[in-house]
Amino acid sequence: MMYWQICAIVLAAGLGIAAVTRAAGARVRLAAAAVALGGLAVATAVFDNIMIALGLFDYDRSTLVGLNIAQAPIEDFTYPLLAVLILPGLWLALGRLSERDWRTILRSSRPVSWINTAYPFAAALLLTRGEIDTALIVGTLFFLIPYNLLMYGINDVFDYESDLRNPRKGGIEGAVLERRLHAPVIATGALLALPGFVYLLVSGGLASGIVLILCLAGVLAYSMPPLRTKERAVADSVTSSLHFVGPAIFGLVLGDAVWTPGLICLLVAFFLWGAASHLFGAVQDVNADRAAGIGSSATAWGARAAARVSVLLYLGAGIAALGIPGWGRLAALLVIPYLVLTLPSWNITDATAERANRGWRGFLLVNQFTGFAVTMLLIVTALGALQG
Amino acid sequence: MSGLYALALLVSIGGLALIDLRHRLFFRVAPIRASLTLVAGLIVFVIWDVWAIHAGIFFRGDSPLLLGINLAPEFPIEEVLFLTLLCYSAMILYTLTVRLLDARQARRGAGTRA
Repeated sequence: MMYWQICAIVLAAGLGIAAVTRAAGARVRLAAAAVALGGLAVATAVFDNIMIALGLFDYDRSTLVGLNIAQAPIEDFTYPLLAVLILPGLWLALGRLSERDWRTILRSSRPVSWINTAYPFAAALLLTRGEIDTALIVGTLFFLIPYNLLMYGINDVFDYESDLRNPRKGGIEGAVLERRLHAPVIATGALLALPGFVYLLVSGGLASGIVLILCLAGVLAYSMPPLRTKERAVADSVTSSLHFVGPAIFGLVLGDAVWTPGLICLLVAFFLWGAASHLFGAVQDVNADRAAGIGSSATAWGARAAARVSVLLYLGAGIAALGIPGWGRLAALLVIPYLVLTLPSWNITDATAERANRGWRGFLLVNQFTGFAVTMLLIVTALGALQG
Repeated sequence: MSGLYALALLVSIGGLALIDLRHRLFFRVAPIRASLTLVAGLIVFVIWDVWAIHAGIFFRGDSPLLLGINLAPEFPIEEVLFLTLLCYSAMILYTLTVRLLDARQARRGAGTRA
């Protein structure tokens, strides 16, 4: 393929983006765009030559039409052209929402939780492949922000009605999302997720592709009707936990991990821990949810049963962690803080369910420590593997 | 000298940031919106770059000025900085020109009134 052909296709795509932003209300000042283009073209002519002369990059000259400004191929001027074609329009189109609205949208993705999806993926892939590569970088960025924007954005849109009746939302734990922001939230999540999703899909094999699609299907199924698993007993905690275990499984499949019993024990422990945390989180909301007509494992079983199952799931996570070989077995100890936080709720009743919030708030702190400890164990395990 | 190219790019981006701060043009006006604009631009440019690299059109030079860290085959870490500089330059040039045009218009308006 010739360079100019790629440039032509890129420019066509740029025109498409410009048309979309214009349809979205962007009125680019042509005089200003022309000045910007002129300035960038001069800079390109100067710096492209300097960079080529310094040997920072080079071309397969047989793919160029051969028209040069000194050493700089004429095709390179597509860069400033594309920049001026799409960026001012994007900037103006995004300006249809105020900075406050964008902050709300950003907050809706729960920045505190970003790390909870990116980390399992990155750790899984890094430890199986043993090196930093493109899939690791793209995948970590994908699971850091777009995945969460999509997951919590879709969640907030479909939770709109119930969020309004729940005073606990709106702080660190989430934001009530106005109806007019629903479309922008979904669009931002989908557009940011698309490139990474496509890359991860094509860079992996069939199995990793299926896992990735299942991850996203889980994100959709959690809050979207007709499944809306977050309102179904058992399925709610299972799907919620898979939001976090899923990226780890994807990383392992993408990296062609060997499925040892120890690894499976680790994943089971992680999964049980996630399900227990979700279940316990729902206990405090039993009354609010029932009043709002929302279902969950906790509303179905009552606060006491849900709290007790949660304690048992933590215990199960600890037992599963015992199956991890070597230093990793110490992870079993990490369930103790969670047992300390949840055991006081063993005899909780529906009437006192809100008290579980005390334990739940403790999670935010304990999770930081757990993350640190798990990281240390992973490092020790990886070093052990390196030294045979 | 290894890292000189990356350093030059960072200094240039820093220069743009100073203009941005001083004249309230882009990040200073709306940081999240500006970040989204820049990230969207970066995604498009990175896709283009990776495609052209894949098609064998350009490749990394062997300059000692590069850090030597690649994010993908033939895609040095400096390329992300370069594309950031390109996109940021475009937006600073555009917003600055809009500002100057507006100021000129306002002066002209004031002149006719006087």
